[in-house]
Amino acid sequence: MIPEIGIVTLGVGMLMICAEFDLSVGSVLPFCAFIFITLIKNGLNTFFALVIVLVAGAIFGLINGLITVKGYIPSFITTLGTMLLWRGVLYVITRMMPFDLRAYLQPGSVFESIFIHEIGGFFPIQVIWFVIVGLILGFLLHFHRFGNWVYATGGNRLAAKAMGINTDLVKVTCFIIVGVLCSLVGVMETLRLETFASTLGRGFELKAIAASVVGGTFLGGGIGSIVGIILGILTIEFLENGLILMRVPVFGISAFIGLAIIIFVLLNTYIERKRMGK
Amino acid sequence: MVTHNSEKNSHKKSLVKMINMHKWFGKVHALRGVDFEVDHSEIVGLVGDNGAGKSTLIKVLSGFHPADEGEIYFEGKKVTVTSPRQARKLGIETVYQEQALAPEMSIARNIFMGREPVRSLGFLNKKAMGDESMEALESIELHLRSPDTLIAMLSGGERQGVAIARALHFKAKLVILDEPTIALSIKEAQQVLEFIKQLKKEGIAAIFITHNLYHSFPVAERFVILNRGERVADVRKEDVSIEKLSELIVTPPSKVDS
Repeated sequence: MIPEIGIVTLGVGMLMICAEFDLSVGSVLPFCAFIFITLIKNGLNTFFALVIVLVAGAIFGLINGLITVKGYIPSFITTLGTMLLWRGVLYVITRMMPFDLRAYLQPGSVFESIFIHEIGGFFPIQVIWFVIVGLILGFLLHFHRFGNWVYATGGNRLAAKAMGINTDLVKVTCFIIVGVLCSLVGVMETLRLETFASTLGRGFELKAIAASVVGGTFLGGGIGSIVGIILGILTIEFLENGLILMRVPVFGISAFIGLAIIIFVLLNTYIERKRMGK
Repeated sequence: MVTHNSEKNSHKKSLVKMINMHKWFGKVHALRGVDFEVDHSEIVGLVGDNGAGKSTLIKVLSGFHPADEGEIYFEGKKVTVTSPRQARKLGIETVYQEQALAPEMSIARNIFMGREPVRSLGFLNKKAMGDESMEALESIELHLRSPDTLIAMLSGGERQGVAIARALHFKAKLVILDEPTIALSIKEAQQVLEFIKQLKKEGIAAIFITHNLYHSFPVAERFVILNRGERVADVRKEDVSIEKLSELIVTPPSKVDS
């Protein structure tokens, strides 16, 4: 589903603009889904469970952020570690068994229709969620003071610090945003698939980075936009679906996507260099 | 020691006065009791060879490395400067050699970095940012087309101009210029020197740190020379020549004293 990977990508892209990575999204997402299903299994109200899950997502993000900024280590390493850590813990707790959502939640509840519902029988409500998250982050990044801090932190961290911006706080906040979005998507996916599986969201981390990069986000931080990130995710997803429809052998699709990523980024870099007159 | 002004209560009228500053980095005694002062709207050239303590002295003043010993008076009041933010509150702005600008952001966004004018809920007031940026640039005679131009598109001299305009806009009383011309072409360096002269016209004091005496000599009114963490001379421009300054820079402190 485009909206699901899309929502995660919006957060990951914004984090990349302030020059950090999050590889742990593919583990945080199923972990939050697991927390959700465990809570409603124990009879908790779904809305209340959602709030707890969002807080849990924020805490996962906070942990990534604090280790990165307080330990002075690259977030690539931090989140590689937490990715393996949370995945391992999750596999042990669940013994990799899937849970059936329908055992705890009857179909047709209001809660469910907020997250997975086809308006008029064909238009998935998840798209609206994607648009809402895109608008919120877009306004935050491009029209809010915080966005200026994000670009400054990614573009020239020393300058940002010298100008009195708390770059650590900016980075941790971006990590928290990613965590919260992962938890939201974890709940959405569980509802849509009517099952919890510990493999939910696998591969999201690299796809999200790839989509951000295709959408013009610079790996070193400081460059990127929400519109670009959205175009990036649409490009990757349409390409993938298109290739399937064109009957490209499924196992070969990653080869095409890999090539496409390289070509897009080459084009991006070329245009950027032209623009700067170098 | 060559000195021009040593009345006991001179810190009353000077803008900033640092007395007996000491700074150690581990076992390295980087500042050995330096006295330093700047008057209102005075441009002081702070010169010295590598490792003389110039950067350390201004980093103490701009709050990056608080001093281990010594007193700082700003506008006659005793202050302790422990962070860059606090220094800026006093009215001390620093323009660094490694430019304190984000190249992929617009001029306006750079000028207001960390101090953005906002409407309700923290949303940027882009119109004010644009207008005030252009005003600040005009005030140092830097004429650029649009406040939305990316810093990456500007020349080195123009970039330093943006950094100086930023200091000016935020009502700095003292601007510290740390090697602002070091990476620039001759023409760009000339442009930066013009900006510095504009600062004086606006009534702002400046400390100009450089290796290149040919850059600081035309604009500075007084020179303070450091050597191995000590002040070896404090001279008015009228009383000195570039040759004499060069000589003072390389003479060890003991020789100057005797």
